[in-house]
Amino acid sequence: MGTDDVPLDDKAKRMRDLLSSFYSPDPSSTPNAPSKYGILDAINTSSFDPDQYMNLLVQKSNLEALLQRHVEMAAEIKNLDTDLQMLVYENYNKFISATDAIKRMKSNIIGMEGNMQQLLDKIMSVQSRSDGVNTSLFEKREHIEKLHRTRNLLRKVQFIYDLPARLGRCIKSEAYADAVKFYTGAMPIFKVYGDSSFQDCKRASEEAVAIIVKNLQGKLFSDSESIQARAEAAVLLKQLDFPVDSLQAKLLEKLEQSLGDLRLKTDEIENVSLESNDTSKLGKVSDSIPTTAHEASVREFAEAIRAYRVIFPDSERQLITLAEDLVIKHFEMTKQYIKRRISSANLLGVLRTIWADVLLMDEVLCEAVLPDFSLEAAKDAVKLYVARTFTYLLQDISDALLKVNVKPKEAAEEHPLQVALEASKKAVLQGSMDVLLDFRQLLDDDLGLLVKLRDFIIDWVQEGFQDFFRALDDHFLLLSGRKNLSSQDHGLTEGVHVEKVLAGLVLVLAQLSVFIEQTAIPRITEEIAASFSGGGARGYENGPAFVPGEICRIFRSAGEKLLHHYINMRTQKVSTLLRKRFTTPNWVKHKEPREVHMFVDLFLQESKAIGCEVNQILPQGHLRKHRRSDSNGSTTSSRSNPLRDDKMSRSNTQRARSQLLETHLAKLFKQKVEIFTKVEHTQESVITTTVKLCLKSLQEFVRLQTFNRSGFQQIQLDIQFLRTPLKESVEDEAAIDFLLDEVIVAASERCLDPIPLEPPILDRLIQAKLVKSKEPNPITP
Amino acid sequence: MQGGSSGIGYGLKYQARCISDVKADTDHTSFITGTLSLREENEVHLIRLSSGGTELICEGLFSHPNEIWDLSSCPFDQRIFSTVFSTGESYGAAIWQIPELYGQLNSPQLERIASLDAHVGKINCVLWWPSGRHDKLISIDDENLFLWSLDCSKKAAQVQSKESSGMLHYLSGGAWDPHDVNAVAATCESSVQFWDLRTMKKTSAIERAHIRNANYDMKKKHILVTAEDESGIHIWDLRKPKIPVKELPGHTHWTWAVTCNPEYDGLILSAGTDSTVNLWLAPISAGDEPNSEGIAESPTQQADPLLNSYSDYEDSVYGLAWSSREPWIFASLSYDGRVVVESIKPFLSRK
Repeated sequence: MGTDDVPLDDKAKRMRDLLSSFYSPDPSSTPNAPSKYGILDAINTSSFDPDQYMNLLVQKSNLEALLQRHVEMAAEIKNLDTDLQMLVYENYNKFISATDAIKRMKSNIIGMEGNMQQLLDKIMSVQSRSDGVNTSLFEKREHIEKLHRTRNLLRKVQFIYDLPARLGRCIKSEAYADAVKFYTGAMPIFKVYGDSSFQDCKRASEEAVAIIVKNLQGKLFSDSESIQARAEAAVLLKQLDFPVDSLQAKLLEKLEQSLGDLRLKTDEIENVSLESNDTSKLGKVSDSIPTTAHEASVREFAEAIRAYRVIFPDSERQLITLAEDLVIKHFEMTKQYIKRRISSANLLGVLRTIWADVLLMDEVLCEAVLPDFSLEAAKDAVKLYVARTFTYLLQDISDALLKVNVKPKEAAEEHPLQVALEASKKAVLQGSMDVLLDFRQLLDDDLGLLVKLRDFIIDWVQEGFQDFFRALDDHFLLLSGRKNLSSQDHGLTEGVHVEKVLAGLVLVLAQLSVFIEQTAIPRITEEIAASFSGGGARGYENGPAFVPGEICRIFRSAGEKLLHHYINMRTQKVSTLLRKRFTTPNWVKHKEPREVHMFVDLFLQESKAIGCEVNQILPQGHLRKHRRSDSNGSTTSSRSNPLRDDKMSRSNTQRARSQLLETHLAKLFKQKVEIFTKVEHTQESVITTTVKLCLKSLQEFVRLQTFNRSGFQQIQLDIQFLRTPLKESVEDEAAIDFLLDEVIVAASERCLDPIPLEPPILDRLIQAKLVKSKEPNPITP
Repeated sequence: MQGGSSGIGYGLKYQARCISDVKADTDHTSFITGTLSLREENEVHLIRLSSGGTELICEGLFSHPNEIWDLSSCPFDQRIFSTVFSTGESYGAAIWQIPELYGQLNSPQLERIASLDAHVGKINCVLWWPSGRHDKLISIDDENLFLWSLDCSKKAAQVQSKESSGMLHYLSGGAWDPHDVNAVAATCESSVQFWDLRTMKKTSAIERAHIRNANYDMKKKHILVTAEDESGIHIWDLRKPKIPVKELPGHTHWTWAVTCNPEYDGLILSAGTDSTVNLWLAPISAGDEPNSEGIAESPTQQADPLLNSYSDYEDSVYGLAWSSREPWIFASLSYDGRVVVESIKPFLSRK
């Protein structure tokens, strides 16, 4: 196809060029770029050179092509001739028709002049006639117009004279709209002529209008009228140029007053909430029942607002502030209410009431976006509520704990510490569960307000627990008296400042910490995971607000600290006892021991008291004699002296001389006894630790003195007596034995003449003491 | 045994309570210590740390007439030291001089320069002013504080002034303020009393029971560290004597002695009857000036102030002394007569 097209196009082009050259006035304007085309195409240009063309053709083509070219060219020439003929013929035709047209035009134009003259004459005559008619009718028309004006004027005068009566009629028929229309119509006339011709008329109608205004105002303010009527009245008043703004303000004031009546009365709410609570228990029909006075008045208020809006369409702003005011007041009341101790059912009641109000008002005033507004306010209120709840919980626990202080060891109560511990345990666990349950109610409620706050509530509860346990830990420290010294800010817990902290309380605190760590936290974590998961309003990068691991860690360390503190307090007491015992007498001039010194009784009494306290609260540990594995970093060891008994029996001065060396040697070979092991929350561990510490103190006190023989023997006697009762009460017998021995060694080392008592005498004195303490009136009560 | 035995040991023959740094010896790191034996012949040991720091060498061994309850080296003359001793029934205190040629003598005698013999009751300690040459001495017994004027060349000591601590205040020890030659802290049963030596009057007191030992910070003014039987270590700013600046837990049993490092800020060493020596880092920051008390407290309490616990002891540790020549070295002395010298260099980097 393509090969066919090209020659066809070529042909057409050549033809066109030929024709254009034929018609073209200036041959030079034809494209003269023949050299650019193939030389064979140059045949159509003006600069065609036949010789060159021939040469080129002969050179380039073979015979066959030349022949073909010849045929083609001959045909082309024939075609061109025919076309030329056609063109000449056509041109000729056109020329002939043009001459014909010119001939016709010439003949037509000759008769036109006369016709035109005729037309001009006729128009002239028409004009003169119409002028005549005009002048003849002018006077009459003028007269008629004048008459018409007079009539109009008269009608107006008539209207004005009638106006008072008409207004009166309107007032009678309460057609205020018409009256106002009439009056406003007459206004311009009154304005111009009011002072002269129509004075009476004006006064009369103004009186009538005053009545109208009064009536309209009455209508506007009367609540019994329909809103439509009131709105109309307002519009009319406005038309009468009455100062509507003041009216608006007045009405608004009235609304505000009614707002005052809307105050949430908490008692009422309580009733409502109680009611609704009851009903909800009965079967969740609470929504329909509490149509209380409050709700009625709110409904009324909403109606009033609706009316007001219709009456004064441009009053939105004021109404919005008014409604917001109401919501703010509501929430202020709620906050007041929260400050008293309320359950979340009560809070729910309040919130429900408020939400109902808000929804009611939202219906009539959706521009105020009251739901959003109240959501913000509710956020604050609920947050406050959560915070308060935790404060109360803390208070409860603190109260439960402080009961130990209030009645220290009342005779009626056999186990005051146990009671306190149980009570405070309950306070913690039950309290926390109650709090969670309480919050659950908030979460489970389908109140629109709370549903939106759900995430927030979850976060607050979690945060609340976190903060609560931190605060509890602080509080424990404060109660235990450990913080009295270092912390200056008692802001939160003033008045709890306990001057003299009972050791028992510290023990209870220690045990409570353990309980919290091991029982309460897992329970609470479970509960939170079950119903308070999610949240996430505070951003996920922070993780959940409640970190049980951290709390557990806090309380584990608190438990240890408090236990140590307890032991410390107890040993301090014994230390004071021992200090007195050792600093008072002159040991160098001590007299022969006659009986076991009474400090032993006091010491045993003290350890018994510890035992009593400890047994009430701490769990029993499994009995273990030696614990090497779980000794902590600060534990240390000493070796007891196996040769002691031997030494005791065969004591003489010479033996005493080398006894130090002996002790050293013995220590090298004796199995190590660990004195300071890690304290556990068990009865035995605490007692053992306390006794160990006391005995160590005893040893240190002994080391600071110098004894004569009798002094040494007194110590020996006292220690010997201590041995049996202490071993009975203590788990780690070996350590106690060792420490008691150490005391005797220390005494002998510090003795100028270390000759121990003979065993028989020792026995006799101890027996005497035992008998004495078994008497009906012993020293220990 | 825990803690590793990185320390260099040295054994005394008998039990001992006190050890002191020989501050005046600027060429060697030396300590002086004395035994506490009621019935044996007591000895004073002059110990020197070998130049390699690997060995403790006995540089001098002197017999001392009675058991030594307190011993301190003169801060400006390495051959002079003071002791408080007891015969068992009575107490005495004396200033001694090590004989010059002690290296050549077999069992040389100490030369008694002066006897501080104005005391009647139990003498607790003799104090030298720690900061340099000062011709005064303080001795404290149960009831009195004595200020002595010492003349070494004349070998005489005279009571310059004396003051009773008052009724029912049994003194137990004391410390001389290195920053103020006129200020002395004396510990007694229920408080730490501060004395002005010019007037010999009490200026103030920290009400605190059972303080066993007190030590002034060598670097910082107004800082006093106290050790208490049961309740650990407290750091006080003397301008605010009501509340301690810092509390350290101390030891499992009593904390017997505390001493501040003479060079490194906040490094405190404590020795306890639980047979350990604890190294604490408790810097008193500049923020602990009067205005901002307590603010810096909570964060510092978070970090464990205990750097290390040396537990390589067999008995209660009563003696403790930093070396002033090499302030990363300290000597400790347990009741069984074992001197252990340790270096705290590994912990300095943590500061």
